[in-house]
Amino acid sequence: MPLSDHPPSARALCARLRFDARPSIRRSLVLWLVLPLALLVPATAFVFYRLALAPALDSLDHALDGTALALERLVRLDNGVLSLVVSRELDSALRADRYDDVHWVALGPDGHVLAGDRELATLGGLPSAVDWRFSDATYNQQPVRVALHSWTCIPAAPGRAAAQCEARVSETLNKRHGVAQQVLAAAASAMLVEALVLAMMGWIAIVRSLRPVESLSKDIEQRSPEHLGPVDRPGIPREVAPLVTALNDLFARVVTASAAEKAFIADAAHQLRTPLTVLRTETELALLEDHPPQLEGLLRRLHIATTRAARLANQLLSQARAEHERHNSAMERFDLKQIASEAAEEWVARSVDAGVDLGFELESARVDGHGFLLREMLANLLDNAINYAGHGARVTIRTGASPVSPDCAMLEVEDNGPGIPVDQRERAFERFQRGNAGGTGSGLGLSIVRDITAHHGAVAELLDGPGGVGLKVRVTFAPARSKT
Amino acid sequence: MIHRSPPPIAPIGVPPVRILLVEDDPLLSDSTARALRSQGWVVDCTERGEPVAVSVRQDPYDLLILDVGLAGIDGFETLRRVRAQGSDLPVLMLTARDAIEDRVRGLESGADDYLVKPFALSELVARSRALVRRNQARGGSVLSLGNLRMDLEARRAYIGEQELALAGREWSILQFMLSRTGKIVAKEQIIAAISNWDGTTSDNAIEVHVSRLRSKLEPAGLKIRTIRGFGYLLEEA
Repeated sequence: MPLSDHPPSARALCARLRFDARPSIRRSLVLWLVLPLALLVPATAFVFYRLALAPALDSLDHALDGTALALERLVRLDNGVLSLVVSRELDSALRADRYDDVHWVALGPDGHVLAGDRELATLGGLPSAVDWRFSDATYNQQPVRVALHSWTCIPAAPGRAAAQCEARVSETLNKRHGVAQQVLAAAASAMLVEALVLAMMGWIAIVRSLRPVESLSKDIEQRSPEHLGPVDRPGIPREVAPLVTALNDLFARVVTASAAEKAFIADAAHQLRTPLTVLRTETELALLEDHPPQLEGLLRRLHIATTRAARLANQLLSQARAEHERHNSAMERFDLKQIASEAAEEWVARSVDAGVDLGFELESARVDGHGFLLREMLANLLDNAINYAGHGARVTIRTGASPVSPDCAMLEVEDNGPGIPVDQRERAFERFQRGNAGGTGSGLGLSIVRDITAHHGAVAELLDGPGGVGLKVRVTFAPARSKT
Repeated sequence: MIHRSPPPIAPIGVPPVRILLVEDDPLLSDSTARALRSQGWVVDCTERGEPVAVSVRQDPYDLLILDVGLAGIDGFETLRRVRAQGSDLPVLMLTARDAIEDRVRGLESGADDYLVKPFALSELVARSRALVRRNQARGGSVLSLGNLRMDLEARRAYIGEQELALAGREWSILQFMLSRTGKIVAKEQIIAAISNWDGTTSDNAIEVHVSRLRSKLEPAGLKIRTIRGFGYLLEEA
């Protein structure tokens, strides 16, 4: 089974460690939702504050103005003389306020003080009063609000122009500050609650709408490389559906393309066999018949090359077949002893030809598997051993319980040939990695073995051969499911 | 159409082995035929399966070598027609397919053996020889290999003209091996076979008998190869 270059866990780990500069839907949603919210909420709070504060302040102004109006009523005009008499009780009534210091003054037409606080009369920076007006000012080093009220206190008469009087009432800003604080607190808390609710809803919306995409990609990520069936997710939202459709189309095309490719390889290998058989027979015939001695070497090399090509064609075909078998047949119970016995006829003949002593140590070893694949695996192991161990070697095929655990079945093929150095053993499982020892191997044998063992959940190991010489390939199978 | 080969120069009195080769690839047919002729055998060739049933009825072939993938009727059908007329001619199937089902199908439809292309010349020759021998042995009450002859009726064995003395079990074992010339015989098979004849036998006893047989057969130029942990193979040295 081809493994991806990096295990997903390592990839995920690295992704978490560094900032991911790729565009992100989540990030842009957050940006476009939360940033405007962060700007809009304070702005709205400010407007709310201003809108709510203005009438509150107005009503306070009008209360102040009421005092000024009261002063107007108190000013008397007797025979052209203006007078304002304020008793102590009246004065304290005018100044009565729970929170603020109230000051007042009434001014005659020429600006002289009729009654009240003189300092208020000389307060600078006040606009001239027309009917009524409000202004901010500083009185006794304290900021105050001033209501200015003017009225016609001496009506026009023949020979006399009308004259205006003015009343000024000031109060400190405690009430106003209090109101402002209350309004501000109300506006801020309302907006804060709104902002929180909006942010939360936004986050939930983002997470919820991205969840199908995430689970879809997790689904695909967790697939085995062979699994190219269509993605079937009933809960896919409309927006993601085109992506799923496109993916399924792609899967279908990949399946078709890879099937076509495999069929092509199988077909090509198949077609190669007849000409290879001719070539092989002819070279063998030429070697048997009389030939000029200088051609001997050439014929031998030709024969070796042809044999190698033939084996490669066979293995390509067997790999294509194995692939097919994997997907199209169910596992059955087999005894490795039986499979090895059946292989004896063919392999003894070959080992005799190759001058190899092939021996058997067979004990019953039950496994669940595909018969074709198990035979193919054994064939590749024996082919390798006979090929690489060379003339005069001893090759032994062994089946039985694993020496590691008696519950596990095991198949071993060992030889006392040149072996494979420990540091090159892992690489030996890769495709087209041929050993150094010449031979006529195609370099596919061990890779086929590994594919087949992986498919059976078994493990193939390369170990030292008998007495530390040569090579021992041990395939250990998971315990067969108990079946009565 | 059958292409007949000129008869080889064979020892007088010994009829040459005759083989019918059915293979539709002309190149492969040609080189295979030459390989077989190099053994002194007479080889007739044809590219199609249709005439095969008729010619095996007319001519006394010793072996039919049949390619599975033929134009027209395929090898399986050809074989079925041959068997349908009651012929027990040994048949070696050549197949470019190594699907186990094909082998099984071939053997079930009456093939005696099969070879997967591309095969080694030596393998083709060895399998062909084994089939021819088995066929020749099957007919009569005499089994033979090389110099060795076993007359089953008279219960006597000869190496050349010299009678070979065999103990009871040695006789049984040798007979079993000779009846399966060219095939490996597992120890268990031997035990099963001779136990039917004369009681039970142990593994060790078989080894002793075989080792005696081995020295007795040496003058005949026959060799019993031990297949370590499995059984024996009787072959000409």
